[in-house]
Amino acid sequence: MKMSPAMRKAQENMQPGVITAEGFLGSEEHSLRDIIVRDEGEMQRLGLEFDETAVLLKHLVEEGRKGLGEPVTVDGKWLVQTWEARGHLACPFEDGIFRKITAEIENKSKNIKIIVTDLAIHLMETHHFLEGTGSSFRLDPEKMKKVLKD
Amino acid sequence: MSYIVAPLVVAALAAVLGAVIAVVDKIVNNYGDVTININGKKSLTVKGGDKLLSSLASQEIFIPSACGGRGSCGACKCRVVSDVGPHLPTEIPYMSKEEIQKNIRLACQIKLKADIDIEIPDELFNVKKIKSRVKSIRNVTHDIKEVVFDLQGETIDFKAGRYVQLVVPPYGKMKTSTQRAYSMSSKPSDNGVVELLIRLVPGGIATTWVHNFLKENDEVELIGPFGDFEKRETDATMVCVAGGSGMAPFKSILYDMYEKGDFDREVWYFFGARTVKDLFYLEELKTLDNKWENFHFVPALSEPDPDGGWNGETGLITDVLDRYIKTKMRADKDKEGYLCGSPGMIAACNNVMTGNGIPLEKIYYDKFA
Repeated sequence: MKMSPAMRKAQENMQPGVITAEGFLGSEEHSLRDIIVRDEGEMQRLGLEFDETAVLLKHLVEEGRKGLGEPVTVDGKWLVQTWEARGHLACPFEDGIFRKITAEIENKSKNIKIIVTDLAIHLMETHHFLEGTGSSFRLDPEKMKKVLKD
Repeated sequence: MSYIVAPLVVAALAAVLGAVIAVVDKIVNNYGDVTININGKKSLTVKGGDKLLSSLASQEIFIPSACGGRGSCGACKCRVVSDVGPHLPTEIPYMSKEEIQKNIRLACQIKLKADIDIEIPDELFNVKKIKSRVKSIRNVTHDIKEVVFDLQGETIDFKAGRYVQLVVPPYGKMKTSTQRAYSMSSKPSDNGVVELLIRLVPGGIATTWVHNFLKENDEVELIGPFGDFEKRETDATMVCVAGGSGMAPFKSILYDMYEKGDFDREVWYFFGARTVKDLFYLEELKTLDNKWENFHFVPALSEPDPDGGWNGETGLITDVLDRYIKTKMRADKDKEGYLCGSPGMIAACNNVMTGNGIPLEKIYYDKFA
C-alpha cells in the first residue's frame, strides 16, 4: 500500500537510533502503513476500540503513578508499577513529546502483564500504531485483551 | 533496445547527481577546525561539524547526559556565550524562560560551525572516563541488582550522593552505544570501586543489559562523578526519603557520615516498598539505627502480605512521612528534605514536606534513581 510523505518520514523516525536506540518497528518487514492496517483489523476482530483502550490505559498508568515507583493494586484487578525517567521522547509522527513513563500492568487473576508507555498510548490512540512485532513496547492486541478484559 | 537504455540513462544520471551532492556536501559542510573556549580558561581545537557534546567528550570533557546525546533527557545543559543562532525546536521543551534568556543550550543539539565560547561548572573538569571491570553482581531483591565495578587501579574522588554514567555497549538489536545515569551507593572512602543499585525497568535498554547480559569480569566504561546531590553542612534535621534503587545515594551518604563520626546530626530515613520482598539492606540499616542514636530508619510497606508477619509501618511512604513529621519529630528544629526517586515521587514528597513547614529551597533531590 502506498505511503504518504508524512508516513514515510514517521517510518524513518522509527528506525533504531533515531528517537530510541531500539526503534519502534521490531523485526517487522512490512511498511508502517501495512502494520497499522493489519493491527486495526486485529483490534476490530478482538472487539477492542482504540480510544476506549487508550482511556483505560491512561487511567491505569495515572493510578499506578500514585505508588511512587512501587507496585500498587488498581481497581482491585490490576497490579501497576511505574518507572519514570528524566526527559521526554518525541513522537515519530512529529506531533508532540511525551514523558518517559513506563508502566507494567498485570492482570492479577490471570498473571499476564503488558508494558505501556506514555508515548505508546499516544501512538495507539492517535495513530493506531501499536509498534512492530518484536518491539519491546509493542501493545499486542491479543495480550491487551487478556490483560484488560474479563 | 529502449528497455535497456532508459534504465542505464537513469542510473547514470543518479550517479552523477550523487557525486555532485557528495562534492557540494564536502564544500558546504566543511567547517574546518573550530575552537571551543571553556569558562575563559581552557581552549580546545576540534573538527567542525560535530555536536558540541560529542566534541567535548572526544577531548575528555564530559557534560552530564542521561540519554547519550539523543536529545531526549535535557540534561546536557551549558551556557553558550557566543552566538550560535536561536534555540532549536528540539531544545525548547527542556528550557525555562530564564534559561532561554541566559542562552543555556543542550550540548547535544549544538553543531559546531565556528569558534564557540561556553560556560560549564568547573567541577566537570574533574570528570573522567574509567575502564572498570565487574567485580560482583548480586540480587538484593527480585528486581534490583547490586553491581560492584573494580576501577582497576584508577580512583574516583567524589562526595557521597553523586552519580556516574554507565556506558552501555551495543547489544542485541541495539546498534549504538548509549549511557544511563546511576547514583553511587559506595562510600567515597572506597574510591577504588563503584557500587550501583540497578532496578530492572521492563524494556529499558540499560537495565535489561545489566540484568540479562552483564557478567562478572566484563569490562565496562563509567563516566563521572556528576551531580550536586549531597548532605548540606548545617545542623538541621535531615529527612531522607527513597524507594527501590533510590536507596543508592542514601547508603553512600549514611555510611560516609557514620565513618566520619558525624553522629550529632539527626537523620530520619524513610524507605518505601510494597511488600517484604521489595525491601533490602534491612538488617544492616537496623543495625546502623541501633548503633547511631540520632539515626532513625523507617521502612514502610504499602501493600504488606497479611500473613507475612510485617509489624513495621504500613501505607504509602508519603503518608508515613507526614505522620512522622507531625508526631515524632521536634517541631522547633529546622529540617531539610533529601529525596531520591522518580519525578512523581519527588513531587509528592515536596508537597508533604512543604505542607509541614520545610521550605522548598531546603528540599534537595536526585532524579537519577
